Amino acid sequence: MIEFHSVSKQYSPHAIALREVSFKVDKGELVYLAGPSGAGKSTLLKMIAAMERPSSGKVLVNGQDIGKLKAASVPFLRRNLGLIFQQQRLLIDRSVLANTMLPLLVSGASSAHAEQRARAALDKVGLLERAGAQPLELSGGEQQRVAIARAIVNRPQIILADEPTANLDRASANKVLDALRAFHSVGVTCMISTHDEQVLDGAARVIQLEHGQTVGGAA
Amino acid sequence: MKSWFRQHRFALGAALGHVGKAPGSFLFNVVVVAIALALPFAGLTLLENVRPMSEQLSVDPEISLFVNASATREQARALAPAVRTALKGHKAAILFVPREQALDTLKSKSGLSDVLATLGENPLPDSYVLKLDGFKSAADAAGIDAIAARLRALPGVDTVQVDSAWVKRLAALLGVLRLVLLLLALTLGMVVVAVVFNTIRLQVLTQREEIAVSKLIGATDGFIHRPFYYTGALLGLCAGAVALGAVTLALNPLNSAIAQFARLYASEFQLAPLAPLGIGALLALSAGLGLAGALLSVQRHLARLD
Repeated sequence: MIEFHSVSKQYSPHAIALREVSFKVDKGELVYLAGPSGAGKSTLLKMIAAMERPSSGKVLVNGQDIGKLKAASVPFLRRNLGLIFQQQRLLIDRSVLANTMLPLLVSGASSAHAEQRARAALDKVGLLERAGAQPLELSGGEQQRVAIARAIVNRPQIILADEPTANLDRASANKVLDALRAFHSVGVTCMISTHDEQVLDGAARVIQLEHGQTVGGAA
Repeated sequence: MKSWFRQHRFALGAALGHVGKAPGSFLFNVVVVAIALALPFAGLTLLENVRPMSEQLSVDPEISLFVNASATREQARALAPAVRTALKGHKAAILFVPREQALDTLKSKSGLSDVLATLGENPLPDSYVLKLDGFKSAADAAGIDAIAARLRALPGVDTVQVDSAWVKRLAALLGVLRLVLLLLALTLGMVVVAVVFNTIRLQVLTQREEIAVSKLIGATDGFIHRPFYYTGALLGLCAGAVALGAVTLALNPLNSAIAQFARLYASEFQLAPLAPLGIGALLALSAGLGLAGALLSVQRHLARLD
């Protein structure tokens, strides 16, 4: 499903984010990316979402070579991905429901269909009763769960979460992780980056990154 | 097809939504663009009203030659060969108008038959009307003047009048006005594009985060650009409607003033608003200018965001 073949990313001669990274993630796997800040976790996830292109090597997502992907094809790749960021990036001038509906409207769904699916997604993350609220009325943990609802509303094949629990207290972080694990349990491939050791407790597979190189879990 | 309509409906809704969030700013921009559009629209309205006048009247030059009132009919008719010679080979239809026929025409056209009846005898002289051929442009006016001068020198001729010179001058003036209007419209059209360009630039900057998020969740460029195109076209359309409304409203006081002036020339000339087709064309043009401004702005500023 996701393959990295000797992938390097170099922003400048002195800023190398990834060095010769290779690994493979199968369909339905839950993989954690661990490592300190600056290890290259975000860059790696951005490459899967075609927000960055490799300087060398090959990134394959569902068989598509990200390095050769045309700009016009990128939106269609992203519709199969659910992206969750450390900063939730919710639109603060729209309701929770409107934020959750957005990926469907972008794909050309009708408003009625989008609303129905968005309500179902909010229900899954336990926030249906807050559908009419504005994002700033919610706690950080709740905002992150709205971001998860927005990420899964399109029924993506892959969820990429970049430090989704970084700014949350333990209880909120656990709720966010429980939600992500729930989607993995129904067959969605998940990649979650974190530098929080507690998040990794009981993880089946952890790819450890340091200074842009894999030091464990890549095989 | 359904999805295409849905996407456009969504874009229009988004554009209206953004207008609704800052109606004051939108209205201000509409007024600025309307002021720029009003001047060429007013000029076009004026030209469209004057154009039929210049087209209805013959622009073929005519020379009227009035024989001395004391000349007999035979003396007047005897002038014909000399008149033909004075033309020096120029083609012309020469029509002899007896004084009786001239009086009848005056009576029927002026509505002054009662007044003319009190004169007792016919005060009009015999005359010739020369319809010149081959003088198509205003630049030929000098050639016509030379013929008129030769005719004036003929014995027994009282007055020579170049009748249609003013129509030629009007046609030439309208040509100049049309050119001035075109240049004015081009200049102010660029002003409209610049205003819309800047409006959309500010909107792109305001919605930076929304654009970035939309891209991350799989929005195509078309999906992101479309609301801005609708905003630009909407701005142009509203400004065009305001400008046309202002020009139409201005016609009322103008027509009052024109009516007083036209009455002095026994005319009932009035400025009329543009025909529905013309109004439709100007509204489409306004929307097109707005769309052009939005297109340029979106191409430039969204590319920078990428």
